[in-house]
Amino acid sequence: MASIELVDLTKHYRQGRTVVRALDGVSLEIGPREFVSVVGRSGSGKTTMLDLIGLLLRPTGGRLLIDGQDAALLKDNRRADVRAQRIGFIFQEFNLLPALNVMENVMLPLRYTKSNVKDGRARTLELLEAVGLEDRARHRPDELSGGQQQRVAIARALVNRPTVVLGDEPTGSVDTQTSQELVALLRWLNREEGVTFVIVTHDLDLAGRTDRMIRLSDGRVVGDELVRHAA
Amino acid sequence: MEILRNLARRKLRSTLTILGIVIGIFALTTMGAMSEHFNVLFNFAEEWYSSSIPVGSPDGQAALLPLSKISEIEKIDGVAAAFPGYSFGMKPGEVTTVSYGIPDTIVAYDPREAPYEALKTSIAEGRNLTAASRGEVVLGTSVANEFKKRVGDRIDMPVRPRDAKLEFVNHPFTVVGILNPTGTVPDSFAYVSVADAQILFKDVVPAFMRDRVDTTTVAEGITVYGRPGTSLAGLDRIADQINQQVPGVKATRPSELVSSFRSGGATFTAITTAAAVLALVIGGLSVVNTMIMSVIERYREIGLKKAVGAHTGRVLREYLTEATLIGLLGGAIGYALGVVLTNLLNMAGRSSNLELFLVTPKLTAIALCFAVALGALAGLIPAFRAARLDPVMALRTTN
Repeated sequence: MASIELVDLTKHYRQGRTVVRALDGVSLEIGPREFVSVVGRSGSGKTTMLDLIGLLLRPTGGRLLIDGQDAALLKDNRRADVRAQRIGFIFQEFNLLPALNVMENVMLPLRYTKSNVKDGRARTLELLEAVGLEDRARHRPDELSGGQQQRVAIARALVNRPTVVLGDEPTGSVDTQTSQELVALLRWLNREEGVTFVIVTHDLDLAGRTDRMIRLSDGRVVGDELVRHAA
Repeated sequence: MEILRNLARRKLRSTLTILGIVIGIFALTTMGAMSEHFNVLFNFAEEWYSSSIPVGSPDGQAALLPLSKISEIEKIDGVAAAFPGYSFGMKPGEVTTVSYGIPDTIVAYDPREAPYEALKTSIAEGRNLTAASRGEVVLGTSVANEFKKRVGDRIDMPVRPRDAKLEFVNHPFTVVGILNPTGTVPDSFAYVSVADAQILFKDVVPAFMRDRVDTTTVAEGITVYGRPGTSLAGLDRIADQINQQVPGVKATRPSELVSSFRSGGATFTAITTAAAVLALVIGGLSVVNTMIMSVIERYREIGLKKAVGAHTGRVLREYLTEATLIGLLGGAIGYALGVVLTNLLNMAGRSSNLELFLVTPKLTAIALCFAVALGALAGLIPAFRAARLDPVMALRTTN
């Protein structure tokens, strides 16, 4: 069963008299453990598609199934629950809470699920070790580099063992070398955690290191191909 | 913990916001303490005057009533007992331009009157006066503290003025008892026997008349008690009957006196209400402003929390809790400062019998609950604003 299934998914906005078709009838499936990139020019609809999959937006039409469940029809609090349990997010700007330390930031999603605190701590420490930040657990975000902050965000995205992690330009705010390190980390976590990754990116290097590249243009899928990696 | 850290991140803003609540609750506490003090006095007066009828000389005449009027009054239907009354300033000649307290007063005490009195006093040290007491005094707690007297000490009453003339007379009294504090009028009284009061009364009669007045047969006024259970209206009727049937006296309707004291109490309630409104305006607006700024600055944080699963209600509760905590912090500090100030002012005024503030459990509860409610109320709109933020727009907000 596909982790995520979009069936003729549509999102239209009204701007004055104009209707903007941000996503215009997209149908695709993303399976378990896939590492997918979504590319396209600005305004192609890739961020809108990510927001729809992340249940941050309601579609205008079509269906969105996550683990077989039609998530588009859910009420707000139930959508929040699905996000907490099944979806992780990585943002370009990291979005760590400055009042919390690294450990507390990673554990943030656990507040909104009925998680056992002890188990949550253990899982958090495990993830911090996986991302190489186990010795920074008590540091504040402003004491970390950009790359380190994004690692914390990655750990946070995985703490609830989600079905899918959605990344919105996760390497957009770091330098080239850090970007490559982050991509390698994401690949490793995809294999180790068995989590589906869907990454929106302008970074063709990153896109080239995923398993599958979906191209969007004007709200429609114009390309969906497996990525050939160099031997 | 996150809330406290968020407050600590914006130290100046948090301090100024909390200061707004501090000022408001400080004003509420101090004004409220003054109001409570006067309300106790007014309540005592209400209770006192709704339990007895003051009888004095007819309008325009000097305060001098023959004691024979007592037996005439006691024949009126509904009257249980009547007692002569004498009172003298403890510090004659003292010039006071403004007075907020009860002046120290020497009053006559008849042990037979005790069962009828509305406000019961109790002895803290020593004993009470007896029917045979002569040259003995029981002091209210404020008087005892002011003159630093304990049981067994001697006190000359009334107190000799600094510029006393040669003919000034006072008398030595032995302190036989000190009352427990009542928080009201009896604290400022020095109780002497009726016989001693009549001697003191002779001293206040002008010298040229002194030999012509037998002060054992006259009184300044008479206090009349109705039968137990007599209502205020019933006492008014008795007062009317005294005025109709007993010539040469004037009985004042207790309801008129009660009404005037109730008006006084209402004035101080109005003062406290004004202080509360001040607290509301100053403190509340500062909290609203701070919380709105806080929500705007933390759009992305709110968007993130919603993205990782926070329900709308949870976000609402978080911001409401933050605003309420600001109210509680400011309220606790403002209240503590108010208590310190009122205690200091009371200590400073103690020697002059001018303790004007009373912090009651009721006032404490009102001040703290008001602060918490103020914070919560002021935080409502910003909290709703935060809770209803669209997570997509919030996450994409640039700082």
